[in-house]
Amino acid sequence: MIKQIFIACLCFVVFSSNAQETFQVNGVKDDRTNLHAFTNATLHVDYQTTMENAILVIKDNKVIALGTDIAVPQGAIVHDLSGKHIYPSFIELSSDIGLPKQKSERARAPQLDPKTSGAFNANDAIKAYFNAVDEYSISKSDAEKLRKAGFGAALSHSKDGLVRGTGVFVALREDAENKVILKERVSSHFSFDKGSSTQDNPSSLMGAIALIKQTYFDADWYTNQDEMVDLSLQAFNDNKGLPQFFDAGVDKLYLLRADRLGDEMGIQYIIKGAGDEYQRLNEIKKTNAKLIVPVNFPDAYDVEDPLDALNVNLEDMKHWELAPYNLKRLADAGIDFTVTSDGLKDAAKLAEMMEKAIEAGLSEELALKALTYTPAKLISMEKSIGSLKNGMIANFIITDGSPFRKKTKIYENWVQGHQHSYVDLIKKDLSGNYQLTLAGKNYDLQVSGEPDKPEFKVVLNDSTKIDVKSNVAKELISMSFKLDTAKEATGKIRLSGWLTEKGMSGNAELPDGNWVKWTASRTGDVEAKEGEKEKKEENEEKNADEAGSLLYPFVAHGKATKPTSETILIKNATVWTNEADGVLENTDVLLQNGKISQIGKNLSASGAKEIDGTGKHLTAGIIDEHSHIAISRGVNEGSEAVTSEVNIEDVVDSEDVNIYRQLSGGVTTSHLLHGSANPIGGRSAIIKLKWGYSPEEMKVSWADKYIKFALGENVKQSNWGEQNTVRFPQTRMGVEQVFIDAFTRAREYEKEWNTYNSLSKKEKANAVAPRRNIELETLVEILNEERFISCHSYVQSEINMLMHVAEKFDFRINTFTHILEGYKLADKMKEQGIGGSTFADWWAYKFEVNDAIPYNAALMHGEGVVTAINSDDAEMGRRLNQEAGKTIKYGGVEEEEALKMVTLNPARLLHLDERLGSIKKGKDADVVLWSDHPLSIYAKAEKTIIEGAIFYDIEQEAQGMKDIQAERARLIAKMQGEKKNGKKTQEAKPKSQIIYHCETEIENYSSLK
Amino acid sequence: MLKLFKYIIGVSFFVGISHVSIAQVPAPGTKQEKPIAIMNAVAHLGTGEVIQNSVITFADGKLTNVADATVIRLDLSQYEVINAEGMHAYPGLIASNTIVGLEEIAAVRSTRDQAETGDFNPNVRALIAYNTDSEIIPTTRFNGILYAQTTPRSGRISGSSSVMDLDAWNWEDGVLKADEGIHLNWPTKLLSPRWWTGETEWRENKKYDEQYTEVEKFFKDAASYNNISQPEVTNLKMEAMKGLFDGSKSLYIHTDRAKEIVESVKFAQRMGVSKIVVVGAGQAFYVKDFLKDNDIAVILEDTHRLPDRTADEVDLPYKLPFLLKEAGLKVAIGQWDEVMKVRNLPFGAGTAAAYGLGKEEALKMVTLNPAEIMGVSDKIGSLEVGKIASIVVSEGDLLDMKSNKLAYVFIEGRRVTLEAHQQRLYQKFKDKYENQK
Repeated sequence: MIKQIFIACLCFVVFSSNAQETFQVNGVKDDRTNLHAFTNATLHVDYQTTMENAILVIKDNKVIALGTDIAVPQGAIVHDLSGKHIYPSFIELSSDIGLPKQKSERARAPQLDPKTSGAFNANDAIKAYFNAVDEYSISKSDAEKLRKAGFGAALSHSKDGLVRGTGVFVALREDAENKVILKERVSSHFSFDKGSSTQDNPSSLMGAIALIKQTYFDADWYTNQDEMVDLSLQAFNDNKGLPQFFDAGVDKLYLLRADRLGDEMGIQYIIKGAGDEYQRLNEIKKTNAKLIVPVNFPDAYDVEDPLDALNVNLEDMKHWELAPYNLKRLADAGIDFTVTSDGLKDAAKLAEMMEKAIEAGLSEELALKALTYTPAKLISMEKSIGSLKNGMIANFIITDGSPFRKKTKIYENWVQGHQHSYVDLIKKDLSGNYQLTLAGKNYDLQVSGEPDKPEFKVVLNDSTKIDVKSNVAKELISMSFKLDTAKEATGKIRLSGWLTEKGMSGNAELPDGNWVKWTASRTGDVEAKEGEKEKKEENEEKNADEAGSLLYPFVAHGKATKPTSETILIKNATVWTNEADGVLENTDVLLQNGKISQIGKNLSASGAKEIDGTGKHLTAGIIDEHSHIAISRGVNEGSEAVTSEVNIEDVVDSEDVNIYRQLSGGVTTSHLLHGSANPIGGRSAIIKLKWGYSPEEMKVSWADKYIKFALGENVKQSNWGEQNTVRFPQTRMGVEQVFIDAFTRAREYEKEWNTYNSLSKKEKANAVAPRRNIELETLVEILNEERFISCHSYVQSEINMLMHVAEKFDFRINTFTHILEGYKLADKMKEQGIGGSTFADWWAYKFEVNDAIPYNAALMHGEGVVTAINSDDAEMGRRLNQEAGKTIKYGGVEEEEALKMVTLNPARLLHLDERLGSIKKGKDADVVLWSDHPLSIYAKAEKTIIEGAIFYDIEQEAQGMKDIQAERARLIAKMQGEKKNGKKTQEAKPKSQIIYHCETEIENYSSLK
Repeated sequence: MLKLFKYIIGVSFFVGISHVSIAQVPAPGTKQEKPIAIMNAVAHLGTGEVIQNSVITFADGKLTNVADATVIRLDLSQYEVINAEGMHAYPGLIASNTIVGLEEIAAVRSTRDQAETGDFNPNVRALIAYNTDSEIIPTTRFNGILYAQTTPRSGRISGSSSVMDLDAWNWEDGVLKADEGIHLNWPTKLLSPRWWTGETEWRENKKYDEQYTEVEKFFKDAASYNNISQPEVTNLKMEAMKGLFDGSKSLYIHTDRAKEIVESVKFAQRMGVSKIVVVGAGQAFYVKDFLKDNDIAVILEDTHRLPDRTADEVDLPYKLPFLLKEAGLKVAIGQWDEVMKVRNLPFGAGTAAAYGLGKEEALKMVTLNPAEIMGVSDKIGSLEVGKIASIVVSEGDLLDMKSNKLAYVFIEGRRVTLEAHQQRLYQKFKDKYENQK
């Protein structure tokens, strides 16, 4: 409001020009007026206000006036910007400009403790103490790159660590740091990438998430304690009031994870995404997060060779096409975002990328908003930067048009009132036809091309043009050319001269050494070539093409629409009920509202989708008690012996194609377990394989909670190489101590909290609350039967050991998983009510499985142990029915009982049998229709149904493959078009998935190289 | 009738146990002394042919009759007669490209004998490291696999493979065909991701051309050596390569990607190698016509595997044997991902049967086809008169795990003991629990 009054009054506030200078001056004081007026410009005051023919006045580093009918103040240096535009310059929020670059050097030997010296955090990746302002040192080349792309200010922050400390907001110009820093501690930063830390923990994404959560709790506790000093936690608390930024720029699920983490901690992060937000737009909309979005749209793939083209995944091809639509779709969804140049090879590509986004439908206004107002607003600086109102920082660019066009030139980028010139503003456009008079002869001289890159040619006739080497520098011009077109001719005419009102003139030295006078007078414009025009139109037509449809999930075999529950009547099938009724021939099953509603003969239901089950078999959906599919970045947090703080639920990957592959094998529910790298592993997730839905929708909300324990060679790192002999435990003896220690601590922890919680309000005020410890909280859940154990186990002795530990601490082991020597102590398991979930016939991979026998399941089952067959493997997981069939061969298990080992029994082990595991009225409609006897090698899952929705249908597969083929063909044709148009392409390289098993240990890689 | 069989099986089981209580791995069967006739089984010949009610006789370890019982007349008085009514008879299955006998426990280095150091080791022979007392072997033949091509791993040329029978005292008597092939691990244009670092994208192999040249030089040197009748200095590597040029050995090229398949086969042809087999051949479908035109057989890796690409049909690995057969190729189904999984070979074939191939064609891909590829089809691979009497009699369909239950197994006419370590442990604890009741 005040600023508007300023403009209305047309009064110039003359700011004190006596800048307070603490630095000594060597010589005489040299303060200048620094008053500039930019006239005749199209002035874009902010993203929604434009003034034609306006004047902008700046003094020192501020805007002091603007308007269409104001006078140029006395003494101002005038810049005539006729035909030019002024925009507020852009603001980059994802930058580490001017900060020391970190490297990640992966140590081979284990590193259990932090290396940072001083009173800092227990983990090296918690770098809350880092303040970018302390380290900021102007980087000329980096600043220049950003300026050329139109940026005038940047939020510079460390890109190293999970907690990265604070950012500094700087103007992008070279001067004393004292002057260019706009605000010192402006933001607080987080990520999932531990960066340069070589400490073992965290070694997984879920470990990173858990560590950040724990840090919040530690920081809370730190406030009131007086036991220790931790400068990281101190800083963490100090930074809480700042805008909180989370770099989750890996993919859209990371973005959702960051928000979920924030929700748990009561923080709304501003989240940096990966540019693929359109793939899960609804979920992202629900986060309410403001986003920082990159525009690193991929180049088309080189698909000329069909065999090479096979390397490119459908989802990558589709992303190539759809990525430019991302901003438009975010805008349409009402999501607030700022655009970053981060992720571009060269920031200068920003305009080209924004042009693509605008061609895809993003408005110019929102594009400008995303690069000016929004970023300023996100760091609460919108009152001083991001638009060009009175009193605001004089950060602007001068262009010849929209800054979101590849062709647009940025002539100048003014930062804090300091000029940076890139294209000569006053350079005259020389293009045109000239008559060149030289030594008494006339020639046609043609000048074409851009003003800053004129091309000179002497036209002898229609077919002969002589290239002229030329150089135009301000007012001076030089040219040289050979008049004789013959190859062997020597001797150039060399001209030197200056610009005149009519053209050019000067002196020339002829090949023979004679000096003559020359002139070139402008005769008219050069005509544009017709061919170019046509090509342009053609291009525009192509851009009008509609982009392909979305897939849920965004991967091959994803569907355009997510399956939903239907009323389905399966007629005349052989129904394996897993109940007292046994196997029912010629029976109908009605699925309604996601439940099994009727089982019987001659059923009918109006409006039901009828499926002929004649000759086919219907079973309950297969449940895999031990799976590692659908997990992002690491199945093991094996860096410590006890990691109950980590949770697979934090890293469920709904886009894993193995979900669909499991569906094709009749699997409907999977227990996603942490690996077996440590005695007490992470918490697990139980999901239904609702292909297309988000991770949150896939999790079984009503399920009990589980955790993975492990014994044996993996936890004692027997097969990890000579380096890994440090982390405790290295023997089975040590494993016992880990458990006893962990549960002793858990008991004490519970007691400590109970004591605290029993205090009166008044007493509490004077007491220090115990530190919340996620690891121990989880173990307390086990002690209180709120969480259940599935323990990876092989050898009899250690299994006995854990049973004794459980007895000692009075908790229950729910399931021994793998349990390959279960047959040696099945009687004890039965007695203690512990279930066994094993492989059908896997063995010989480690020493401890030497006594693993395929009769294990039969023997355990025979003793009355609830026995399941599991996979631990994405491949085996999709044919668990066959694995169950092996128990008939090995040990003669009855067929119905064999089938239960992959349906009802795992449901019982996972406490899901109230609703899953059998075909019974009222249970969830999770069923599979098989082409043949379900335990036979010849059986194919024809329909896999979850809660009445058909998630896999073999009849649709042929059509699905045709769709994939057609979509690929369409995209390949489109990419070839790009290549023909001379656009850059990238090599087609295949990608592979990491298939996790129990012992899969990924080195914690860092994005830092 | 059926009850009688159960009784016989029960007895044989008992005998088996008493055997293994002496030796760790059961002793090989004794030489066939009397002619044996297997009566009334459904005979799956391995050639694609089925005889619903068959007579199979063998003497001195050789098949003497394979015929329709409803047609042929035989005097059975001289024979030991096995009534196999309701059962199924098959030629012993052949597992291609395995490390059976070379590796015992994957994680224990001292039990791994398949990977010699160095790049070019054609002279290295799997045969002599083959451990007849491997615990893996009885578990493998328990499912009907009676022969294994035992094959070295690693390096550019890993070594020479041999075809072994799975019931022997030592490698000398176990070998069916020694050093029958040389295994070339063809360089890859793309390097697979270093998954342990979290990498998922493949990388260009910048050394591909260099590696190609190395292989080329090795083969040229070998051809040159082969052409000298009396070399001044004996070179073991070059000696080992000789068989490739005179057709006495096969060159097994291990490669998966389409372009490398073509490039490696053309290379081998140019080098004058006459017998070429492609092993792995994951992308063979895309160059099927090339393989057909050049008459190149392929040995496919495990049927039970995941598709390579997200966009592949979910069941592409299951269908691949059928698709290649339709394209006119000679295909063997392999199973070598882990040595212990070799025993699942029949089920890999069973899956291929369900996905287009049909049971008899699937059987052929684990019997006659690999026998032909390895050049041993004159001896094994089908139930045909004159061939070695290596026969599997199963109570039910051999290719389906729920019915794969062997009643009788003969290798060279010798009755093979099926029960070993795993059955012994089963019995031990079964007895324990029964005694508790």
